[in-house]
Amino acid sequence: MRSLNYVQRVSLDFSGTLFPHAICLGDADNDSLNELVVGDTSGKLLIYKNDDSKPWITRTCVGMLTCVAVGDVCNKGKNLVVAVGAEGWFHLFDLTAATASKADSSSQHEFLSSEDQRPFFTQHIPANTKVILISDIDGDGRCELVVGYTDRVVRAFRWEEPSDGSDVGSGQLVLLKKWLLEGQVDSLSVNPGPEGLPELMVSQPGCGYAILLCSWTQQDSSGSGDDAPATPGSEGPSRDVVLHLTTGRIHNKNVSTHLIGSISKGSKEESSKCGLFALCTLDGTLKLMDSSEQLLWSVQVDHQLFALQKLDVTGDGREEVVACAWDGQTYIIDHNRTVVRFQFDENVNAFCAGQYTCKEGKNSPCLVYVSFNHKIYIYWKVELERMESTNMLRVLEEKPEFRSNLKLLGVDAEDPAAVRSLVANLLYKDSQ
Amino acid sequence: MLKESYPFVEDSFSRFPSQSNIYGLCQAGEQELLAATLKGKVVSFRYQELQHKIRPVAKEVQFTYIPVDAEIVSIDAFIKSPPKRGLVVGITFIKDSGDKATPFLNIYCDYEPGSEFNLESIAQSCLNLELQFTPFQLYHTEVQCEDGSIETVFLLSGHDQRIHLYKENASLHQFEEQPVERLFPELQELPSNVLWLDVLSIPGGRRLSAFGCQNGFVGLALVNQTGPEVLQSWRVQFDSPISIVLLFPLSCQTEPNEPGGEKRVGMEGYNLLVTSTIEMAVVYRDVQDRGLSDSTCLSESDQWDAVLCALVIDLDFDGQKEVLLGTYGQELLCYKFGATGSRRDGDFQLLWRRSFKSPLLSIIYLDLTGDGLRELAVLTLKGLHILQHSLTYTADLVLERLAQKVSALTAGSEQDSTKDTEEKDAPIKKEESTDVTPSN
Repeated sequence: MRSLNYVQRVSLDFSGTLFPHAICLGDADNDSLNELVVGDTSGKLLIYKNDDSKPWITRTCVGMLTCVAVGDVCNKGKNLVVAVGAEGWFHLFDLTAATASKADSSSQHEFLSSEDQRPFFTQHIPANTKVILISDIDGDGRCELVVGYTDRVVRAFRWEEPSDGSDVGSGQLVLLKKWLLEGQVDSLSVNPGPEGLPELMVSQPGCGYAILLCSWTQQDSSGSGDDAPATPGSEGPSRDVVLHLTTGRIHNKNVSTHLIGSISKGSKEESSKCGLFALCTLDGTLKLMDSSEQLLWSVQVDHQLFALQKLDVTGDGREEVVACAWDGQTYIIDHNRTVVRFQFDENVNAFCAGQYTCKEGKNSPCLVYVSFNHKIYIYWKVELERMESTNMLRVLEEKPEFRSNLKLLGVDAEDPAAVRSLVANLLYKDSQ
Repeated sequence: MLKESYPFVEDSFSRFPSQSNIYGLCQAGEQELLAATLKGKVVSFRYQELQHKIRPVAKEVQFTYIPVDAEIVSIDAFIKSPPKRGLVVGITFIKDSGDKATPFLNIYCDYEPGSEFNLESIAQSCLNLELQFTPFQLYHTEVQCEDGSIETVFLLSGHDQRIHLYKENASLHQFEEQPVERLFPELQELPSNVLWLDVLSIPGGRRLSAFGCQNGFVGLALVNQTGPEVLQSWRVQFDSPISIVLLFPLSCQTEPNEPGGEKRVGMEGYNLLVTSTIEMAVVYRDVQDRGLSDSTCLSESDQWDAVLCALVIDLDFDGQKEVLLGTYGQELLCYKFGATGSRRDGDFQLLWRRSFKSPLLSIIYLDLTGDGLRELAVLTLKGLHILQHSLTYTADLVLERLAQKVSALTAGSEQDSTKDTEEKDAPIKKEESTDVTPSN
């Protein structure tokens, strides 16, 4: 297994403690460059920008923040920052203006009125939140907010504003649906189904997953002929949960499981409608599957995987699966099951991976580790030319002019020793 | 901007069970490395080809007669000078059984025809020599023997202020200690313990020998191989222990219209790089002519703790060598010689630097992947990094030079289509000499 060492990193100051889902990367201020959003257990929301070790913006929320997200949750064409506390307080921040005000003031210690620091919207939703997702889950082109709870419940909300209401913040979250699951939900994701429509997936213990059906869309479409009309009431929730258990070596059917969907396949021609998703468990199973339930690969490792992300490290448009263990061991695996390992030298409190603008004024793939020593480490140069070890002869063989030039020189392209000495001769003056 | 010119991509990292030291890495054969770790383990590293893919393989080699409580000090390996065949591995270690620490030198070498290069069987045939001194660097070099034949020998420095020579006794099929004065008269009566030694053969049957000592003494000698006879010697005193002395040629640019080939070699000057644990690294220029009189400091080389390893190689394929320094402060520094003015004098400028996660102990540049392109192996306190040149960029460079070579060949064959044998070599030289000019 190929293993390597990333070195270029920046460390950010972070004195609090956080829940594993209270960290995300996203464009919080709508400048097309990504920021790091972190929420701690005392209710502070911190937003880091570039390689500055101090937070760019700090906001205070009510309660313990369990999850943060960046997305167009109000469907207004701009990203908002969402922070949800364990007690059920939902906060919405609009940081687009923050860039402008920061840029205007030349002084370092700029005074922001308490009015500016407050979220522009708060609402109380059911408590015991654990994980959130902002995405279009029903295929209507508009984003919904999905919240996973510690009591095995998942709720979907939609932002609705009165049609005449032009006032900012006049809208509110409206509950669309509640699902009750058998096991703990550790992650929420959306993945294109076999028909290409988005499917809401949640992870289930023991390397399982469940697809949650958005029954409000069915009610719209199946108004006329339906052989099994959905009966409202207590039977409803369980009927709309389709549980899938994956086969294979599962030691513990209660083991905590994570999931990530919509893994980009890169080039257009080979992309079928089926979406790719990955699963990982705390006992070290990693799987890549597509939405027709076909297993692409499975990897068993001896580290406790607790976070699963996707990231295109090779820059070829295909996203690799990135899994991180508590002890810092990180696996980057491509669609062909090529593994690259990286050992982060500390225990990991929380992990995320994605695009972030750190040094060079543009988004680049980054790995973000929250340590237990009041630091967040961002590895900002994690791009690889390729996932596999290779040598230059293989790279050259792909170029047609190499072969034709070899022929002109009378060097046999099938003779590795001859080609090798030719290459050495071309590169090094002192080679024999 | 410094980072931009850093040409490497890390291909692999192998973590070692225990730390190594500055004498802990050596090349064993064409495409293999041996790294010794403190707790008596030797790891071999190479690339294995499997199903048209290559992958890095680091595995422990069980060298016999290394007790479990041994701590390895140094390792070295060489291929015997022709006409002899075979790989020889030397390992020095200290066996500490509690009451008294005993140092040993083990020399591994297989005489069985067919297995002279098989590391597994070499590791099983051992010559165990007990030492009367604490060993330091184990070094090998080619030397001209009394009968005129060329042979590779081990040189081992020790805490007894001496350097010990181990030479193969052909009739007994084993290595034995021989007086160092007979073959290396320049290495006797040393003022202190030698921490690093370097020997370079130069044209005219001569050699340059340099050694750096614990007390900061650096000695340099120009020796006539036949005899052997010390022609000239120089010395300089530093304020801190010497970590590395390294002799290297540095080609100086010739006039653009001067014909290349043989004449350029004549223009080459020999230089001595000296790194010490506190002071800046120094390069002494043209040592065969000027001795240790013409020195140039490598600025900022003392900024990242002691320099522990150094290498002089051509990293950017322009025919001119760069100086690489690895420091305890976890930095790899690359210096390039930039000529100021038209004459030979110039400066070494810091081209780039790259941080590692732990102190750098040793660096080697060799072709591990078997493609003609060499890789940089960096031994750090935690393990072995293999840095590969960016293949996309280098492949483009190879194609470009190949196209130049082909066009030179076709142009040459049009002019002279009768001489088949000579035209192959002539365009190569022509292409090389034109290559040097645009890069400067």
